[in-house]
Amino acid sequence: MSQMFATRQRKLWREYPLWNWVGLFPFFIFIVFFLVFPSLRLFTGAFTNQEGGLTLDNLKVFENPNVLKAYIMSLQVSAITAFVGGFFGFLVAYSITQGGAPRWMRNVISTFSGLAANFGGVPLAFSFIATIGQTGIITAMLKKACFNLENYGALAQFLASGGVNVSDITNVCPLNPYTYGFSLYSLSGLVLAYTYFQFPLMILTITPALEGLKKEWYEASTNLGATPAKYWRDVALPVLMPSILGASLLLFGNAFGAYATARALTGGSIPLVSIYIGQQIRGDVLGNPNEGYALAFGMVAIMTLTIVAYSLLQRRATRWMKS
Amino acid sequence: MTHLELTHIHKSFGASVAVEDFNLTVKQGEFVSFLGPSGCGKTTTLRMVAGFELPTSGNVTLNGKDLTYVPPNKRNVGMVFQSYALFPNMTVAQNVGYGLKIAGKSKNEIEERVREMLSLIQMDKFYSRYPYQLSGGQQQRVALARALAIQPELLLLDEPLSALDAKIRFELRQEIRRIQQKLGITTIYVTHDQEEALSLSDRIVVMSQGKIEQVGNPFEIYNFPQTRFVAKFVGSLNTVTATVVDPAKGIASFDGINLEIAQGLNGKNKGEEVTIAIRPERFNFLAEQRKENVFDCTIENITFLGSVVRVQMKIGNSIFNMDTFNRPSLKLPNIGGKEQVTCSNKAVLVLAG
Repeated sequence: MSQMFATRQRKLWREYPLWNWVGLFPFFIFIVFFLVFPSLRLFTGAFTNQEGGLTLDNLKVFENPNVLKAYIMSLQVSAITAFVGGFFGFLVAYSITQGGAPRWMRNVISTFSGLAANFGGVPLAFSFIATIGQTGIITAMLKKACFNLENYGALAQFLASGGVNVSDITNVCPLNPYTYGFSLYSLSGLVLAYTYFQFPLMILTITPALEGLKKEWYEASTNLGATPAKYWRDVALPVLMPSILGASLLLFGNAFGAYATARALTGGSIPLVSIYIGQQIRGDVLGNPNEGYALAFGMVAIMTLTIVAYSLLQRRATRWMKS
Repeated sequence: MTHLELTHIHKSFGASVAVEDFNLTVKQGEFVSFLGPSGCGKTTTLRMVAGFELPTSGNVTLNGKDLTYVPPNKRNVGMVFQSYALFPNMTVAQNVGYGLKIAGKSKNEIEERVREMLSLIQMDKFYSRYPYQLSGGQQQRVALARALAIQPELLLLDEPLSALDAKIRFELRQEIRRIQQKLGITTIYVTHDQEEALSLSDRIVVMSQGKIEQVGNPFEIYNFPQTRFVAKFVGSLNTVTATVVDPAKGIASFDGINLEIAQGLNGKNKGEEVTIAIRPERFNFLAEQRKENVFDCTIENITFLGSVVRVQMKIGNSIFNMDTFNRPSLKLPNIGGKEQVTCSNKAVLVLAG
């Protein structure tokens, strides 16, 4: 038995000599210091009190309605931006892979996506404030595109017939989003800012799957009598679905863990879990790091579920693409 | 009776001409192969029949109905692709039954037809498998069953065996022919493999640079090539430039050696240069049998090719190959030795084009 074990060991060393693994050491060291240790600290911190004794009291933070509200808000923002970014990202990726867009456009979009998907935090928040903030350059331009309703008699008459008091409306600026209640520093503004890095991430993750759609599948289905709509319903979408769902989960996780953009843009006025944790750990307002660890532990649990689901979907997508 | 008719088909992609004045009639139940090198236009022609490409000019007629501008999903033509193109999200049964489902057949009808097709390709046990669980050969059988399930008026096969290994290719080739003959379905088969075309087809269309070089049955194509391209592309061939000596008697000369040509040299003038060709298997050693043309030669090399032995020899200043069956009684000459070989005057071809 021990001889068998020794033979197996020798075979393993022969097949996987240590030298081949050397390149991975920096990665492993990085992971240990910046993922494993912080996660352990987070885990232990979630179950200890400030004096270092074991406790489950930190978990009571989940009974706090504000915390629940923060979780719900984080889930909402993540789901909305995953959907919006995913939808537009899919359309762009489709156009550059299957839609016959020219090669140069595809290269430009791919390069832009690589940059934009990694452009977040304070610089992103600042660029949005500088463009479509209350006094942003684009907002200023849109505010100038106004007209006086008195000069448009037919429209004024139409609105008046609908019961609108047109005498109150002298200067109309239809392109100014702030007249419709939009604010960059609200939930809709946050969604807009997140979408900036969400949709390029969707382009990057879904493009390989779209490229994997074989032209012959379309031709085979039409040859068997299917219309393009039936091909999409029966073949293309089912084949792409694991990849679409997987990419959406990735987008969801990406938004769920984001902190700096929201913090810089809204200054903490939108209650997201990540901001709540920051407040707990920094201690400037709330100041209970162990409760912060417990909250982060909840986030890690949600992120773990997301990653597991993503991996399972990716495995399914890869299996189909093998044939 | 004419089943498929391609009339003056022409296809250009911008300035590049892919198919030029292609004319062909195919009878009901006939197995016709398009044979030629890559880029000769054979697949483009097939795709025009399937409806995936529109001819720049010309007509495609099936059973008397003009299909030229009919969309591919309305043609009732079955197609098998080189890359199988099975839908990866569907089981074998769902793949085979897909065309019937689209046609709105009942579940019972689909089930019955799928079972029948799987039995035809001897893959009943693979009913619930997914394509990724099948080998390449099995996937191609399923693709064939899927194409046949809709009972198409015409079956198109686009290099269906080229992605498979040699053994599977041979087996599946026989399988395709067996099924085609059993169903009596008119079939167009695209290939660049001359052995496939020769062994499967009722007729072969040899193509080069978008044009038909020759149409004929395998015997005609192999033994009576009408152009230099056909002669060179189908089978191996010795060619040499010769000078006409006596047009009336069909005598030409190369490297100072006279040879007799049964088909004659009518229309040629004395002293004119012609390209003559002799297939390697048409030579034999003089000691075995004497024929009209006898040549002195020096043996340059001998190669064993399994059932055939290839002898490379020098006649005059020209190198020729001779193929002879490998058998235990075969007495092979020594390399560098002097020998005499012979060939019939009927074996000498004069190539046009």
